[in-house]
Amino acid sequence: MSESDLPSSAESAPGKAALGNLLDWISTVDHKKIGILYICTAVFFLGLGGLEALLIRVQLLFPNNDFLSADLFNQMFTMHGTTMVFLVGMPVLVGFQNYFVPLMIGARDVAFPRLNAMSYWLLPFGGILLYFSFMTGQAPDAGWFSYAPLSTKPYNLMPGQDYWIIGLICLGIGSVAASINIFVTVLQCRAPGMSLQRVPLFVWMSLMTAILTILALPALNSALAMLLIDRLLGAAFFEPARGGSAVLWQHYFWVFGHPEVYILILPAFGMISEVIPVFSRKPIYGYAFVAGSSAVIVLLSYGVWAHHMFAVGLGMGADMFFAVGTLLIALPTGLKIFNWTATMWGGAIRLTTAMMFAVAFLLEFVIGGLTGVMFAAVPIDWQLTDTYFVVGHFHYVLIGGTVFGLFSATYYWFPKMTGRMLSERLGKWQLWLWVFGLNATFLSQHVLGVMGMPRRVYTYADNPGWMALNAFAGAGAVAMAGGTLVMLLNIWVSVRKGEEAGDNPWEGFTLEWATSSPPPAENFAVIPEVASRRPVWDLDHPEVADAEREPTPADTGWRPDKLVTSAWAFVASEAVFFLLLLVAYVVFNTDVAGEIVSAAMLDVPRTAFFSVALLGSSFTLWRAERLLNSGHHAKFRLWLGLTIVLGGFFICGQAVEYYGLISSDVTIDDNLFTATFFTVTGFHGLHVIIGLLALAIVLVLALRNDRNVLGGTTLKAIGLYWHFVDVVWVAVFCIIYLGFLQ
Amino acid sequence: MSNFPVFEPASPQAEAIRDLFVQVLWISGGIFAIVAGLICVALWKFRAAGDLPEQDFGSHRKEIAWIVAPVIVVLWIAAISAKLVLTFNAVPQAHPPGEQVADLIVTGHQWWWEVEYAGTGIVSANEIHIPVGKRLRVQLSSADVIHSFWVARLARKMDAIPGRENFIWLQADAAGVYQGRCAEFCGTQHAWMNFLVHAHEPEDYEKWLAREKIVPPAPTDSKAIAGRRTFLSLTCSQCHAIAGTGADRSIAPDLTHIASRSELAAGVLVNSPQNLRRWLKDPAAFKPGCKMPDFKLTDQQLDDLVAYLETLK
Amino acid sequence: MIELLSDKELWNWWSPAWLVVVCVVMLYSRCIGWVTVQKTAWLIAGLSIFVFAFVSPLGVLADGFLFSAHMIQHLLLLLVVPLCLVLSLPRNPAWQSGNTFTFKTGILGVLRKTVGFLVSSPKLGWLLGLGTMWFWHVPSLCSAATESQLLGFARTASFLVAGILFWWPIYAPSKAARMPASNAVVYLFSACLGCTLLGIYITFTAITVCPAFASPEERLAIMTALHDAGMTAPVDQQLGGLLMWVPPCSLYVAAIMSVFCRWYSVEDRGAVDLSVSGATEAGR
Repeated sequence: MSESDLPSSAESAPGKAALGNLLDWISTVDHKKIGILYICTAVFFLGLGGLEALLIRVQLLFPNNDFLSADLFNQMFTMHGTTMVFLVGMPVLVGFQNYFVPLMIGARDVAFPRLNAMSYWLLPFGGILLYFSFMTGQAPDAGWFSYAPLSTKPYNLMPGQDYWIIGLICLGIGSVAASINIFVTVLQCRAPGMSLQRVPLFVWMSLMTAILTILALPALNSALAMLLIDRLLGAAFFEPARGGSAVLWQHYFWVFGHPEVYILILPAFGMISEVIPVFSRKPIYGYAFVAGSSAVIVLLSYGVWAHHMFAVGLGMGADMFFAVGTLLIALPTGLKIFNWTATMWGGAIRLTTAMMFAVAFLLEFVIGGLTGVMFAAVPIDWQLTDTYFVVGHFHYVLIGGTVFGLFSATYYWFPKMTGRMLSERLGKWQLWLWVFGLNATFLSQHVLGVMGMPRRVYTYADNPGWMALNAFAGAGAVAMAGGTLVMLLNIWVSVRKGEEAGDNPWEGFTLEWATSSPPPAENFAVIPEVASRRPVWDLDHPEVADAEREPTPADTGWRPDKLVTSAWAFVASEAVFFLLLLVAYVVFNTDVAGEIVSAAMLDVPRTAFFSVALLGSSFTLWRAERLLNSGHHAKFRLWLGLTIVLGGFFICGQAVEYYGLISSDVTIDDNLFTATFFTVTGFHGLHVIIGLLALAIVLVLALRNDRNVLGGTTLKAIGLYWHFVDVVWVAVFCIIYLGFLQ
Repeated sequence: MSNFPVFEPASPQAEAIRDLFVQVLWISGGIFAIVAGLICVALWKFRAAGDLPEQDFGSHRKEIAWIVAPVIVVLWIAAISAKLVLTFNAVPQAHPPGEQVADLIVTGHQWWWEVEYAGTGIVSANEIHIPVGKRLRVQLSSADVIHSFWVARLARKMDAIPGRENFIWLQADAAGVYQGRCAEFCGTQHAWMNFLVHAHEPEDYEKWLAREKIVPPAPTDSKAIAGRRTFLSLTCSQCHAIAGTGADRSIAPDLTHIASRSELAAGVLVNSPQNLRRWLKDPAAFKPGCKMPDFKLTDQQLDDLVAYLETLK
Repeated sequence: MIELLSDKELWNWWSPAWLVVVCVVMLYSRCIGWVTVQKTAWLIAGLSIFVFAFVSPLGVLADGFLFSAHMIQHLLLLLVVPLCLVLSLPRNPAWQSGNTFTFKTGILGVLRKTVGFLVSSPKLGWLLGLGTMWFWHVPSLCSAATESQLLGFARTASFLVAGILFWWPIYAPSKAARMPASNAVVYLFSACLGCTLLGIYITFTAITVCPAFASPEERLAIMTALHDAGMTAPVDQQLGGLLMWVPPCSLYVAAIMSVFCRWYSVEDRGAVDLSVSGATEAGR
């Protein structure tokens, strides 16, 4: 397997014991090794996901084929989608980000190396959970979107669905942790002189992706949590038969799902924004617009989710709103196409494999983008959504965009990662196999779509033309599989016998080319000083240095505190999570008649009393922080202890309330009020308990006079989280106990 | 039937969508040609020569000039689709609960369609009969999971969602049979959840309606009588309904006029006595996972049942 | 629509809005002075929109008849007019060049400092900007302000003040008063989220947000026509919700783009008249 080969030849000293080497990889906290682990794991899952795709194509070769049973087919496309998005697309991009973001900003590592390792290990763990479902007799088969109520217990009894949920929660937590890490790394660890306006575009896109991930994944997590509560504890959030909502799941899923598309495409934008300028020997055209338009994409991507739901019947107003949002988001994307083309224009283009993949990206992505615009015209969507046309559309985006961007990046950065060049000859084979495969498979599918073939059907009647087109699509899939094998062969051979690369084989512009290939453990012997967007270019071409010709805003030297920044990012993520849980509460408990169910069941004054304790704990923590800053360590410990006592008191209050409710037979599966009530307060309680644990650890460390606690910003970061938990409680109390918004 | 249903509309709405689609296809084709042309010219003209090219960092003015055209295109597409969207609104004005507002009530089931003709008492399955030229309001709902109602040549696609009522317009300009499908993944047999829309000339439609309203007379043939007894004595009647027999459940397709339908099991088989028999013998052989159990019927029972069901015209 | 415009009943020529315009023009010419054509143009734009919001049929319909018209008026008063006014302020107003007034000492000086402090506080700007938006859509308040003239004045005044305070940290004439770009993006984006939430709520809720509009005491002829065209009270509210959502967010996004452009340009080069370059972005 490539998983063990690639790393060992890439990094380790010869003669080291294999076991030691393995342990080294397992225990590594080096961002480059973790990056490679991410990439190799993704390649492994690419094999699985690709195999599933091939099985799907085989089943659809003939009408009325019985190669796969209906159930198995449904499992295959569910696993294919889930695998490709969560176990291939995101990890491989995070892998490249992990490897190259610190290098490109002149850092020695990411901000939190150990958190980085944890993020990575959640990936195989989540992947194993997901694939373990096969052992239970049936893999999940409700689609990667798992629309309720098909994914709820009455229609899906198998535990495979539960594995899907738990696996995805696991992967989601890992992704958010990885993104917080990259977010903080970009903000905090940049080399001196590298203002945020000077970061390479790949770094900027990584930053944008990190923000997207931090704010989008909690939407999925909250939906998954609710679905799991439905399935395991008998609530009915998504069961219409018991009052739940089938559409709410779709909203939550796509609130995550659409930003997810940009999570998958923005880093690829970043990659070709590095490749095209280098192989055109020109700077990127309109840096500010490429970067700024990505930021706009990030913002807009949260306002377009319901364009996946035009067939739901949300109403004409809502449909048009989301259509307009979707059309608007095409503008910043179109702007980028212009910038990339303009970058090539007037350049000195070297058509290496990396560059050819970038050009292929441009052409194929434009096709995917244009069909995307078609879907934004609502009536066209009404006709073509859920047909093979839409399958063709998003594969053009994800293969033509993300995958080609990744291949381009692979050929561009492989020399840096291994010190050896990939074979250009094999590279071109790979390119043409993929270009043929992509177009054969997915152009056919566009046609099948207008011929009326719905997606996700395990077989079809012998309609004229369907078989030929499906066969053609199958041939394309085989070509893509062949292209992948060529790539693996290329890597296999090149790692051993590839041409030596040297530090900067492509005459690259950015800092990763300023160190050796592969880079040493700490990346740079001396952290370079940066004065422009192309520091290595400036060194190579002092006569036309960017620093003089295109002045950029200088670095103010501002670097935020690592811990506090990460705490803010985490709090933002958690805020989205709670926001969506509270939205669910409001949705399910808005009674037009004005009767508030909660009032009858809850002892509001008692909870108000305990709430005062929680709010008081925020005050005491604030006091403790002040005292710590002014050096009163003894008093600080006292106030910190008091905070913990007050928080504990609140938790006791919650316990009393839960005990009272449960002993009077009010449980989570009673009705939608109890389901939402227990879910919201339960998750809040969980957060309070985690906060208490964190505070207790701080207290213990403080009692031992730990320097990090007494001198650093640990308390401030944890305090931020604690205040956040309190703010959430204020919202919970107002909405649930006092009945606001009902 | 037709090969390219999206391009061969048979109703004003489907035609409007086709026109919009064709227009947007042309616009997209034009944009692609421009972009691809520019890229090709760039590749051809600017192959690497020895010299260092001019280092051009971009210009705000050109960016803004470039974005003007896409803005216009986007606004244009938004405007024409908005104009069209409004004409599709089939949601009835506020009405008292229980009042009949739709002409057809279609309910998705795993994996068949229940069709109720409002105000006539006619209930059928997997087949919709409509008069040519009349715009009908269809109410869509679901008995279990989410389905999606799609007759490409006649109407927009609309989901049938449990706990919700959706409305669309259904109309056919010419007599004929139109293929309909479920478009939203709805479980094991999503692939076989097809239906047919038969559009009749108005007078034919009236005839069909009159025929459909007749409760099938009790069979006279001895085999059919035995079949009827079998139908009522086995658990068939726990799920299926046949008017005039007392069987009135709607868990499975209504069989009142099954012999006059053209397909069995939502498109799996052509309706013929032989196929009906094969289906009854082992439903899972044709539609694995379907809710109809294998009753292990004897040959005698099968013959009787088929004889009886074939009388239900 | 032509019919609607020609109907005299629908134009409120005697609106007190004119009075406000006169006051503002006098104040502007005394304290600030006519510096450049561009600044003057912004002032004229702001005041014209202000007048339009009250004098035109929009103002009449907003006065208890159409929720969506109310929403447009609301957005013009809270977002567009204050933006224009802020952009009409020059970097070196007359009072600073010392020829006409100097408020550096005395009560007025203290007042100026206090006001200056309040105005330049982004938190306050954000809270007021969004708070006003949310506050006036509490059902009872929304109805009350529509029915009572006094409350209506209070609401208009609060819109203008809150709007100016909201835009100040982004487009203040002096660079020192502006937020750093990163904060400005967060500031604008969170504001966008805030109005999106309110927009979603108004669009999809079953509650009548502003009962005064759902059952107006008197009817205009135009209302019947609109009602027949499908503009029923729920549709009206949905439209209002969408208006709360899309246009402000577009404006915020355009402002974000302008902040980005400002941020990427080198300080000195762009320092000449940033507010204008920013505003042309926003207007685009």
